[in-house]
Amino acid sequence: MGSQGGFGQSKEFLDLVKSIGEARSKAEEDRIVLREIETLKVRLNDPSTAKFKLKEYVIRLLYVEVLGHDASFGYIHAVKMTHDENLQLKRTGYLAVTLFLNEDHDLIILIVNTIQKDLKSDNYLVVCAALNAVCRLINEETIPAVLPQVVALLGHQKEAVRKKAVMALHRFYQKSPGSVSHLISHFRKRLSDNDPGVMGAALCPLFDLIMIDVNSYKDLVVSFVNILKQVAERRLPKSYDYHQMPAPFIQIKLLKILALLGNGDKKASEQMYTIVGDIMRKCHSTSNIGNAVLYECICCVSSLHPNPNLLGAAADAISKFLKSDSHNLKYLGIDALSRLIKISPEIAEQHQLAVIDCLEDPDDTLKRKTFELLYKMTKSSNVEVIVDRMIDYMIRINDNHYKTEIASRCVELAEQFAPSNQWFIQTMNKVFEHAGDLVNTKVAHNLMRLIAEGFGEDDDTPDSQLRSSAVESYLRIMGEPKLPSAFLQLICWVLGEYGTADGKYSASYITGKLCDVAEAHSNDDTIKAYAVTALMKIYSFEIATGRKVDILPECLSLVEEMLASHSTDLRQRAYELQAVLGLDARAVEKILPMDSTCEDIEVDKNLSFLHGYVQQALENGAQPYIPESERTGISNVSNFKSQQDHEPSTHTLRFEAYELPKPSLLPNIPPVLASSTELVPVPELSSVADILQTAPSASDAGSSELKLRLDGVQRKWGRPAVSSVTPSTSSTNTVNVQNEASQRDSAGRSNSKVREASYDSKKQPLEVPPEKQQLAASLFGGASKSEKRQSSIQKMPKSQNQAAETSHVPKAAASRTPTVKTSQPPPDLLDLSEPSVTSSGPSIDPFKQLEGLLDLTQDTTSETAGGVSGTEGPEFSLFADMSLSVQSDGAANSISNVSDRNGLGGTIIENLVKSNKGPNLKEALERDAHVRQMGVTPSGQNPNLFKDLLG
Amino acid sequence: MIRGVIIMNDQGKPRLIRFYEFQPVEKQQELVRSIYKILCSRAENVSNFVKVDSLFGPDVRLVYKTFATLYFVFIFDNSENELAMLDLMQVFVETLDKCFSNVCELDIVFNFNKVHTILDEIILGGQVLETSSSDVVMAVEDISKLEKNSNSIIPSIPGWQGR
Repeated sequence: MGSQGGFGQSKEFLDLVKSIGEARSKAEEDRIVLREIETLKVRLNDPSTAKFKLKEYVIRLLYVEVLGHDASFGYIHAVKMTHDENLQLKRTGYLAVTLFLNEDHDLIILIVNTIQKDLKSDNYLVVCAALNAVCRLINEETIPAVLPQVVALLGHQKEAVRKKAVMALHRFYQKSPGSVSHLISHFRKRLSDNDPGVMGAALCPLFDLIMIDVNSYKDLVVSFVNILKQVAERRLPKSYDYHQMPAPFIQIKLLKILALLGNGDKKASEQMYTIVGDIMRKCHSTSNIGNAVLYECICCVSSLHPNPNLLGAAADAISKFLKSDSHNLKYLGIDALSRLIKISPEIAEQHQLAVIDCLEDPDDTLKRKTFELLYKMTKSSNVEVIVDRMIDYMIRINDNHYKTEIASRCVELAEQFAPSNQWFIQTMNKVFEHAGDLVNTKVAHNLMRLIAEGFGEDDDTPDSQLRSSAVESYLRIMGEPKLPSAFLQLICWVLGEYGTADGKYSASYITGKLCDVAEAHSNDDTIKAYAVTALMKIYSFEIATGRKVDILPECLSLVEEMLASHSTDLRQRAYELQAVLGLDARAVEKILPMDSTCEDIEVDKNLSFLHGYVQQALENGAQPYIPESERTGISNVSNFKSQQDHEPSTHTLRFEAYELPKPSLLPNIPPVLASSTELVPVPELSSVADILQTAPSASDAGSSELKLRLDGVQRKWGRPAVSSVTPSTSSTNTVNVQNEASQRDSAGRSNSKVREASYDSKKQPLEVPPEKQQLAASLFGGASKSEKRQSSIQKMPKSQNQAAETSHVPKAAASRTPTVKTSQPPPDLLDLSEPSVTSSGPSIDPFKQLEGLLDLTQDTTSETAGGVSGTEGPEFSLFADMSLSVQSDGAANSISNVSDRNGLGGTIIENLVKSNKGPNLKEALERDAHVRQMGVTPSGQNPNLFKDLLG
Repeated sequence: MIRGVIIMNDQGKPRLIRFYEFQPVEKQQELVRSIYKILCSRAENVSNFVKVDSLFGPDVRLVYKTFATLYFVFIFDNSENELAMLDLMQVFVETLDKCFSNVCELDIVFNFNKVHTILDEIILGGQVLETSSSDVVMAVEDISKLEKNSNSIIPSIPGWQGR
């Protein structure tokens, strides 16, 4: 270590590095490293190895691990080195353990004692080394052991030590907030430390604390503003300057804190305006760090209560960034623009050309940032251009993570602003074609519903045009190889429903295509299921219209194959198809009526038609039915059955006993729903069901069938008033027999008319087709003048429509206002819960929520959506899980709290340590014995190693 | 906070790996490989920032810069400022340069424990500790001096002070 410039290491190490550098393949490198590991094993375990040699071996061990090999055999030697008196060895030991060991590693317990001793050392460098180790190695359990010393070090005379002690406390706070909650005042106190470095260090924990709870720190606004003023006025020592900026890192941290404190608080913001304005004027935009501070100022301004002067200054700064040649500055400019745009949307217009330049830039980071900006400024006037651009980009990249993100954004924007249904379908086709397996399956279901419901007007012509164009486009696309499964399912469904509707294509043509699909994807049961149901529909339409049905030979062989399938679902469908083919026109028409996907299915939940039968049974002496909720402790069949539907939850860890159903709860909720832990997020159902279904082959039914049932269950849940005499699942089933087949495919279609309003309103803004000659014009054109008004006009009728006509239009979720939501009768809301949540789920991008939203309307959107999903069963389960884990955490916390308080209560440090370490004492001693056995020559100090522990 | 600091050469061989939340060795290697892949695909004269939320979770970004044959990478979340991180990296490299007088890859390979010492003086537990390279150099020199002394005099010098 002491050797500067020279390499100071032995020839062996030099040779090792050299030979690894010259290795031509990974295999060769591995061989060299493995040989090295063998050497090290022997040397380290040799008791005659000199100490200074040990140091080098440990460093070589580190080197081995950096190269990705396991060096765990040597961890114990690193631990031993921390015990050494020689500072060089001790520091090497500390470095090695901080790199090797996880904070929960068993060996940590052997180091805690040394750390305690070193924290009390007279030598501040030893203390610093120990504090470094503390930051890395101390976990929740060991915090109390070192906490008193660390707190004492806050008053150390060396500022370097105070600084590190603050950092260590911050680290404790991050690891276990409860353990230091009584010490938070220390952070405030350190703000007034004589040394600016220590003050700066205290800003880090305060930033974290303020992020969690702004209101408790409003009193510090004045202090922060004063500190920032002093920094900006260069009252700090010259040594804190960096590239002619006074303490820029402290300024940045302070600006971040002010942004948090001033957000949505006019009074606090007003106190900050002057200083933030001053800093913006003073920034040297020639240096990197000057721009960093300037950028932070813009972020701060965009978070404060709006002030015209500051906004103007921020806009100027942004244009400086955007005009710069540096990609870094452009990136920051775009980022700043997307922050500011929600406060002053007109600002984007001046920078349209710069934004388009960034969009065309070869730099991916910049491009993605620009897409983020565009996403935030999308309106109905520019949605086509923006989404087209996004899709183009999406097609070109391979990064699945980003592809998913951008695909879901395309879908969200298209759903929200689509100018026409044709455009929507085309856009969706593109998204599905290129990222079908990455987007949420609900998106496919929404698209199916759109095609099924059309425009919702009395005139059917545009609807059928839409359908024909969809069918046509699908017939064109479906031949292409490698289409995503979700897209093929969608195609099969649409072809089944509308393939032959306009008479353009013959039944045999469509069925041929469907058979091709099923054949080409013989290992995808879901596609086959969709295909065979589509076949059934086509044939039954044919039968119903009285035409003679020629069943294609490939279709017959497909059915044959499916009859022998391992999947019970496929078999069921194949049998159904066979059965339908054998029926006459009248019966078929009843089973699968033409174009009936939008019909509401009346479900007689009371099963009133069975009353007579029940009555008769009772008269004959049968036991009367007791609703499940009133039964206690009996696991009956129906309970079991519905539990199976919700099965997925049972494979997760349960932390509490099953609750007994409570008698007075909503009468017809199966107990499964009543117990919170049972609920599972709906979207996961199908996939988990795959694993858990008792008959493994039935898996594919999961996707459509399970959802259907859930729908029923939730509806019941939502309407507590409805009382049923029989278990719910069976009731839906019995009544639905008629429509079962078709219903399977159109998941959640029961609320058909729901969407009329949304598409009505969506058509209106269409009339202003953007000038596409210039991208700029189309992106920004008319933005400043008409846009704001336009959007508000669009949105008003939309929400009114919804309030009046429908309450749960999934796609219009984004424009929903809180009032609309509250006006909804709760049962309705839950009624459609599944589809509505699923579409609002993906459309509310968590990212967006984080970054703040485009405008006020959308702001309320996310809240509303949150509210809606909050009422969902699945969400509940999520919260329930959380509260559970919180509980257990809390228990742990309180334990450590107690011991903390003991320490504060005036007991001597040794005592505290003893009490905490008590249970581990024996273990620790054993370990020490073990260590010695392994050939360690105990150094003079070793017998004292556990002196503290022994008290 | 800063999630990690990585130095690797232009062949993707890691020279220094420091994560401020523990990562098992295999995970470290995987992360280094994925980051190297990302960095390789970046053209010249583009921005120094890359969003790496696919590797580290939402809002995590990295700043990278090449110095001779080495990539320096800082990984951090949204409580840090990108440009400031770039400058912090500058501080780090300046300090290395002062400590090794004209730092090169081999210096870092052979003295990576010293590089760790320097880094520990700049970043502690994921937070920026010191941003003045001369202060860092001073602290590191103090440590070296003391280490040399402790080689000759076994017990540490009581009350040793000064900087």
